[in-house]
Amino acid sequence: MPADHDFLFAEVGARLLDRLADVRRDFPRILDLGCRRGALGAALGARPGTAFIVQCDLAPEMAGAASAANDLPAAAADEELLPFADGAFDLIVSNLALHWTNDLPGALAQARRALAPDGLFMAALFGVGTLAELRVALMEAELAVEGGASPRVSPFADVRDAGDLLARAGFAMPVADVETIRVSFPDALALMRDLGAMGESNAVAERRKGMTRRATLMEAAARYPAGPDGRITASFEVVFMAGWAPGPGQPKALKPGSATARLADHLGVTEIPAGDQTGQPFTDEGKRR
Amino acid sequence: MSENNDVDPKLLEILVCPVTKGPLAYDREKGELVSKKAGLAFPVRGGIPIMLVDEARRIDADPARS
Repeated sequence: MPADHDFLFAEVGARLLDRLADVRRDFPRILDLGCRRGALGAALGARPGTAFIVQCDLAPEMAGAASAANDLPAAAADEELLPFADGAFDLIVSNLALHWTNDLPGALAQARRALAPDGLFMAALFGVGTLAELRVALMEAELAVEGGASPRVSPFADVRDAGDLLARAGFAMPVADVETIRVSFPDALALMRDLGAMGESNAVAERRKGMTRRATLMEAAARYPAGPDGRITASFEVVFMAGWAPGPGQPKALKPGSATARLADHLGVTEIPAGDQTGQPFTDEGKRR
Repeated sequence: MSENNDVDPKLLEILVCPVTKGPLAYDREKGELVSKKAGLAFPVRGGIPIMLVDEARRIDADPARS
């Protein structure tokens, strides 16, 4: 995949839209949370059934740029303190923006609140495996050159936590999965330059003050594993998460034992009782009690 | 929409104070969205409401405003 500092957002945005296309539902009122330059907002506007789109970004310049680019309303807003009335939206989409937040559970709760009953929240955020190669190279280089290491690449979301976080924020039917996007760069310095251009060099608030020493960067570039042609690959792990604001008529799991028909009858077979072993937990030795 | 400083009317309808989630009064002349309860006036720049506490002007919570 070619390297260009906006391509990653475009690529992940396209994948979000793909997933959205699978949902057979109109979403009249949409919020693009973390709108950057408005590319996703413009695409969402083309979706049938869309009546109203609001874009917001933590950076006022981005909100202004997005609105100027696609002529849709925008506001500067903090994901942890959203300025929208309860139930104002039917869909909230967020493309690679939520890794900037210090309080992801809080941001999810705010999104949930801004959704109308049966509204959909769908987000893509960087996962833990993102830039793993760069992380290792920087840490090794820092230990070698400066004799200590500090956090350098944002702590990213773990897909295993994503469903839990959504559920805790009050979302129904939460789902999460991961896609890895591998990008080829001429060398590690080109990757670091591009991350800087994306405004993604480091979202860690506690980052050590001051610039990274040139010697450390050169050492990291040398340590970054390269292919036979000298090019390097950076992996971006993207966690896609989705959940619904609770609403009437949503499918819910029934209580165990509340079945009104027997599976055996449907299959036309004879049911063989499993006796009182069913539903018993396994012991440590892997045997039923 | 950057010709004037007016906030999109539909956006204005759903905007609330990010801190209190209470209503905002739109001061069109000053280009501010005022949350009396929080004592904050959020600026509007180029039609873009800047709903960030750090960017808001602190005002007295008490004096009556229209």
